[in-house]
This record gives sequence, structure tokens and C-alpha cells, in this order.
Amino acid sequence: MRNSRRRLGWLPVILVSFSLVAAACGGDDEEASEGLSGAVNISGSSTVEPISIRVAELFEDSAPDISVTVDGPGTGDGFKLFCEGETDISDASRQIKEQEKETCVANGINNIIELKVGVDGIALMTSANNDTVECLTFGQLFDLIGPNGEGTATWAEASPGLPDAALDIFGPGEESGTFDSFVEIVLEDLAEEAGVEATTRTDYIPSGDDNVILQGIQSSDTSLGWVGFAFAINATGVKLLEIDGGNGCVTPTPDTIASNEYPISRDLWIYVNADKAAANNAIVAYLDFYVSEALSAAVRDVGYVPLTEAAHAETAERWHSRTTIS
Amino acid sequence: MMSRLSDDRSRAAIAASIEKRRVDTRGLLFRTLLQACLLLTLALLAVLIISVVTNSTDQLGTRLGDFLSGTLRSQSGDDRLGVHQGIYGSLWIAVIVAVLAFPVGIGAAVYLEEYAPRNRFTEFVEVNIRNLAGVPSVVYGLLGLALLVKGNLFGLDRLTGGSSTLSAGITLAILALPIVVITAGEAVRAVPVELREGAYGVGATKWEMIRTQVLPYAAPGILTGTLLSMARAVGEAAPLILVGAISGRLGNDPGLLDLSALTDQFTALPIVITTWTVQSGRDVGFTAAAASAIVVLLVFVLLMNSAAIGLRNRFEKKRG
Repeated sequence: MRNSRRRLGWLPVILVSFSLVAAACGGDDEEASEGLSGAVNISGSSTVEPISIRVAELFEDSAPDISVTVDGPGTGDGFKLFCEGETDISDASRQIKEQEKETCVANGINNIIELKVGVDGIALMTSANNDTVECLTFGQLFDLIGPNGEGTATWAEASPGLPDAALDIFGPGEESGTFDSFVEIVLEDLAEEAGVEATTRTDYIPSGDDNVILQGIQSSDTSLGWVGFAFAINATGVKLLEIDGGNGCVTPTPDTIASNEYPISRDLWIYVNADKAAANNAIVAYLDFYVSEALSAAVRDVGYVPLTEAAHAETAERWHSRTTIS
Repeated sequence: MMSRLSDDRSRAAIAASIEKRRVDTRGLLFRTLLQACLLLTLALLAVLIISVVTNSTDQLGTRLGDFLSGTLRSQSGDDRLGVHQGIYGSLWIAVIVAVLAFPVGIGAAVYLEEYAPRNRFTEFVEVNIRNLAGVPSVVYGLLGLALLVKGNLFGLDRLTGGSSTLSAGITLAILALPIVVITAGEAVRAVPVELREGAYGVGATKWEMIRTQVLPYAAPGILTGTLLSMARAVGEAAPLILVGAISGRLGNDPGLLDLSALTDQFTALPIVITTWTVQSGRDVGFTAAAASAIVVLLVFVLLMNSAAIGLRNRFEKKRG
């Protein structure tokens, strides 16, 4: 009796081992037919990720057999996978770089369709307790956050005319698309004029997590920081600053961002591997839906600003005519 | 004795000094300090659990069933938001760790303790196993990425399907292996010499001695150690990120017993928790979702640990 029970005790272990081996073999067969079962594989920017997910969620009821997987390691990492042919679509919070295009071409990915899907503002913020600053110009932002600000400890020291208060800066790290966009929109031209490298100062506190940046801004009364508008709008304890890009101070709101009145806004993109799309009807169906009216609803649902009608029409046209970038 | 102490006063002094020595202030202080340490630990744990559980009521209190059967979504208010895909991943990772790490680890431990000759080489191996147990989990993630996802060395990606539950499970099994070897080895070493000699005395071979004496006696210790290492493996997030766990949206949502999905893209509870915590900046409702996922993971690990305790008690009864 004791013996038989002891022997039986091993039975489940053996059974599970067998089933695992069986599963491993079964998986191989399924992988071969993945193209036919309707899978779309998306990776890239974590900023654009929610849009692609939301579109997939709105899409799934009409096409329950198409399985859409979306991941968000970052724009740069996304392009790496895209150019290795691992993904069908790449989300991006900036346009593809020349260098990335070259990698794609080197790997035989020549036909890439670039589609604009939404707009995101970059919000500059300080603590809600700070009533000394309301509006900043691009010049002041360059003084505060640009490379010339390196080592300055107060707002006045970095940019004469601003209050004499401690300056604690929080922002995204260099790997982030939000970092790239901020440098490109705000700092690049001024850096060229000043003859310095277009980047930020190095002595600010970077984080890959928007919540950490927001907490940093809340933690100091005279802080300064920037994150994507979708994250800033829901935050408590922070004050969104007005920005003067040359035409007066503008508060960031969905309207001012959509109309480009607010000067620090960026377009959000998806990049499609056209050859993969041609070979997989699931991708075509998903993108047909992506560029339809559903796009505006999806973009609004996840906190971003929808394209203007003209821009939306152009995106749809680019997709339907399969216009590739050169 | 009483008669020798003629002076009442000296008797009183001696009595007082005896009394006084009994009030052991230093001892009391030490004891209070120890109690404070315990209280601090418990208080931290209590704060953690209470805050997580209160946060989780939004999801778990109102839609427990939906939350357990739902999937990764972009909005926290979605009726279909839930952790089903995470539970699938974590469950099978645990099973794969059990199936791979336990037999191999216990086997290696028994060999090292019972058969391996005591020499420099064995010592070298043992020291290395101990070092491996302290290697940061991210490093194992890199190993999994190279070996199982990319298939760099042996083309194993064809077996695992690249970034899949199977790859994640094998990676974490490798991570758990050194801990299993160490704990199982310690349990085997604790078997009394008398039992071994008794077995030899009645004519048992070495194999019979190990099978009938060493393994049954060491079983409770082996089980506790190995299941604790499994619980640790299930809570790991860093290696899974490298192996390619999906954080945004996972297209497929297999049933819990659907073995064919083991080679598909995957996610797991620790990844779900990380993602939702990040998303809570954009959509505050994800705070509750993340807290709920933490509660689910806690219950999951607790169930595993109680299984360990249950099994240990069964083996101990047998041993007695």
C-alpha cells in the first residue's frame, strides 16, 4: 500500500513532463501557420502604444479571429525590431531616422509606409505651489534646460529675469521619444545659433517612468519638468506652464495642441512593413480600420489629440495608395 | 545556615541584592528591542498589504470574476480588463520551473552529497553553485534571451517559439536551479548518519539506502526549499522583460489548460503589475488595477506556499 502510493506520487510529475514535450511539438506546427491565422505584431513607442491598443480593442468585435499584439519598449527599440523584420508595424513618437532607414534597407525591408495617427503636446510643468512662474519662452527654456544651463542652481542664475529660486529639473531620459521631441522642437534651433550641441544639460534628474518625473515635480516647490501632455493633464500637484514660441503665451489644451497654436507639440506615427502587409490580410484589415473614423475616437479615448480632418484624410490616402517612404 | 547570619541588616542586604539582580534591566531592554524589530517588520508588511488591499477594492470588490477572466486593455474602466493572460503565464512558468528545476536540481544535490568524491573539483563546483544563486536575475534574463529567444547557440528558439511562456519558464527554471541544489543538498546533509548505517547494516545497497532512507527523510526539507524558490521565480519581472514579455496588448487569450499556447507570445503577473503602474499616470484607474493584480499574485504565491506546507506535513507524518 505504502509502496504503491509512493509510486503514484510521481505520476503527476511524469504526466506533466509528457504534456510539456507534447506542447513543445504542437507549438512548432502552429507557428508555421501563424500567417494564416491572422496575427498582427506591433512594437515601438510606449507613447503611441495606447493608440494602437485602443484601435485593436475597437476592431476586435468586428474581427474576433485577428489577434493583435502590441508592445511598447520605446521608439528606438521598436525600429530595431521592425528593421529586423520581427514586427509588422512600428509605433513611433518621432519620424524614422536616416540611420534606422538604412538598417531596414540593409535587411531587405525597402517598402515602408509612414502614417501620421495623432498629435501629442509636450507639457512643461512646475509644482502647483509655485506662483512665481506662469509662462516661459523658448529662449528661457533653452537657458534653463539647454547645455548652457549646466551647473546652474537657481532659475535666475540660468536665465536673468526669472525668480531667484532653486531649480530642480526632472525629465525623460535620452532613450525616450519625448526627450528627442523636446530637443528637436525647443532646443535645436537655439543651440545652433549659440553654437552648442543640440541636447539638454546633463545635470537634471532623468527617468524612463512618467510617474517618477511627475513625483519629482511635485516634490519641490520650484521644480521644472516635462512629460507628454496625456500624462500631464491627469496629474495632481503640478501646474502646466504657458509657452511662448514667438507668438505670445499659450496654455496647452487639446484645442491649442491640435491647431498647432501651442508651440511644443509632436506628431505620433506608425510605420508599416508594406511587404508583410501585402502577404497578410489581417494587417490590411487592421490598418483599414486604423485609418477609418475610429482613429479619432481611439486617440481621444487614450488622452491624445486627434488629427485635423485634412491630416486624417491624408493618412487614409497614404495607406490606401500604399505610398512608401523613399 | 540561618544561624550563621547573626546580623539582621546583612541578611536584608543579601536579600535585597538577590532581589535586585532579578530585575534584569539590560535583558528587558534587549527583549524590548527585539520585539520592536518584529513589530516594525509586521507593521511594514501590514501597511503594504492594507494599502494594496484597499486600493484593490475598486476592481476586486465589484468585478472579481471579470477581473480574473479579463485581458490587458488600454483603459482602466474597460469591462474586459483583467489578469487572465497574466495568470496563464505565471501558472505555466511555475509548472515549467517545477518540472525542469526540481528533478535536475534535486538530482544534482543528491549526487554532490552522496556520490561525488570530496576533492578540490567538487568544492570548486559547490562554491560556484553558491555564487550562481547570488547572480542578479537580469543576468539570467540575458541568458534566456540569447539561448532561448534568439537561439544563438543551439537554435533552441525553434523549440521555444522565441519569446514565449516556454522560454520564460525555462529561463526562470535556470534561475531557480542553484537555489534548489543548495536547499536540497542541505536537506540531504541533515539526514542522520545512523539511518544510513542502519540501512547498510541490514544489507542495503547504496541506491537502496538513498531511496529508502535518505530521500524520504530529506523530502520535507527538499520540498520546502524548492517550493520557496519557485515562489521567488514566479515573482520575478526583470528576466521576463528581457525574454520579451508583452506589456501592452496580447492578441491571444488561451484557456488556463491550453498547452498549445505555451510557445506563443506571453505576459505574466509581475509584468502586468509593472505595466499598469506605469499606465496609472495616464489613466488613474490603473492604480486600482495594479493593486488588484498584486493581490492576485499574492494569493497565487500564498496558494503555492500552502501547497508546500501541506506536502511537507504529509511527508513528515510518513517519516514519523
